[in-house]
Amino acid sequence: MKRLLVLAALSVVGVVLLYGIGKMPPMNSRDTPDKTHVVPRYLEKGVEEAGAGNIITGVILNYRGYDTMGEVSVIFAALCAVIAILDREKKGRSRSGVDASGVEASVIVRTVVRFSLPVVLLFAVYTILHGESSPGGGFQGGAVIGASIILFTLVFGLPVSTARMPLRARIPMESVNMLGFLSMGFIGLAVGVKFLTYILPGLHGTAAETVRMIMLNVIETGIGVGGGVIFISIVFSMIREDQYELQQDIPQH
Amino acid sequence: MNFSRIFHNINYLVSVLLFLVGLYAVTVKPNLIKKLIGLNIMETSVFLLIVSIGMVEGGQAPIVAEGVKASRMVNPIPQALILTGIVVAVSTTAVALSLCIKLYEGYGSLNADEILGAWSPLGSSGGAGPMRLDGPGPDEHRDVP
Repeated sequence: MKRLLVLAALSVVGVVLLYGIGKMPPMNSRDTPDKTHVVPRYLEKGVEEAGAGNIITGVILNYRGYDTMGEVSVIFAALCAVIAILDREKKGRSRSGVDASGVEASVIVRTVVRFSLPVVLLFAVYTILHGESSPGGGFQGGAVIGASIILFTLVFGLPVSTARMPLRARIPMESVNMLGFLSMGFIGLAVGVKFLTYILPGLHGTAAETVRMIMLNVIETGIGVGGGVIFISIVFSMIREDQYELQQDIPQH
Repeated sequence: MNFSRIFHNINYLVSVLLFLVGLYAVTVKPNLIKKLIGLNIMETSVFLLIVSIGMVEGGQAPIVAEGVKASRMVNPIPQALILTGIVVAVSTTAVALSLCIKLYEGYGSLNADEILGAWSPLGSSGGAGPMRLDGPGPDEHRDVP
């Protein structure tokens, strides 16, 4: 009965949504309103105005820099909320009913993860540093960093992972994404231009472009490293392992 | 309603279907994790819709390189917006999952109906009450006479 009611409500919602998309302009056309307003200017002048060959990077860091700064603070706020709810990872935390079977991952899984981890991290660095001229960027590289370390944690267990990335190393790294953004913004304010303007006064030509490239890369690196470490910390807070004290042997390689 | 236009915009149609699948999971499934998965499916449908708006016929990635003309690039703004959206979706999912962990530690269940049944505003449930594994359960906060 409840299921029938829900299906009726869903079909009403579906009809409304279908009516809405029936009124939308056709896909793939070039003269829809979204592509005729500011987009031609972004595509024609984006490289010289925003300083990034990847127009999307130029949009998120320059044209919509405030938006991205708010987004970065959202990630940081999510970390704060998770820590407020769950607390940091602690030794000997075995207070949950979550099943943590003590079965170790097979030797194939452990070997593959051990050998692929450096390559994945190298790819993350490439993604972050080439974000302004090729597909990629800080958020994507941060996601790769976070996913690789989370995979390592799932295979080798929380004690090994926290021994490699101790809390005192992660705490300063968690804040570099906000710090990178704010410091680059306040550099602009200090020399007398607008917040998050990457063109400094007194510089022209190649020097100005080099400085802008460095500032964009600082922000991208901060977003990548900070975002990755924040997601690692969130997952560390969530993991419940009953055998925390037992697995103290760290694999040597 | 113009059906031929709906089927021409196949991405929008799939986006509506994904939205309905997610809404079904959020409303019908009692398991909180499945509700969260449904919420993520709904978010994905919105991402698909907005990115599809920026498509152009024979479009290329908006990255300046040799042999890529600005007039052939797709719209970069929806992609930049969705990058923001994905990050916010991940953040909300992380907070929701940690709330689920706390609920499981307090009630021993992730079933929304069971949690609602075990919870009482005055803490005066005469039954067994929620299963407790750590810290004071809801029964301890009994200041109301």
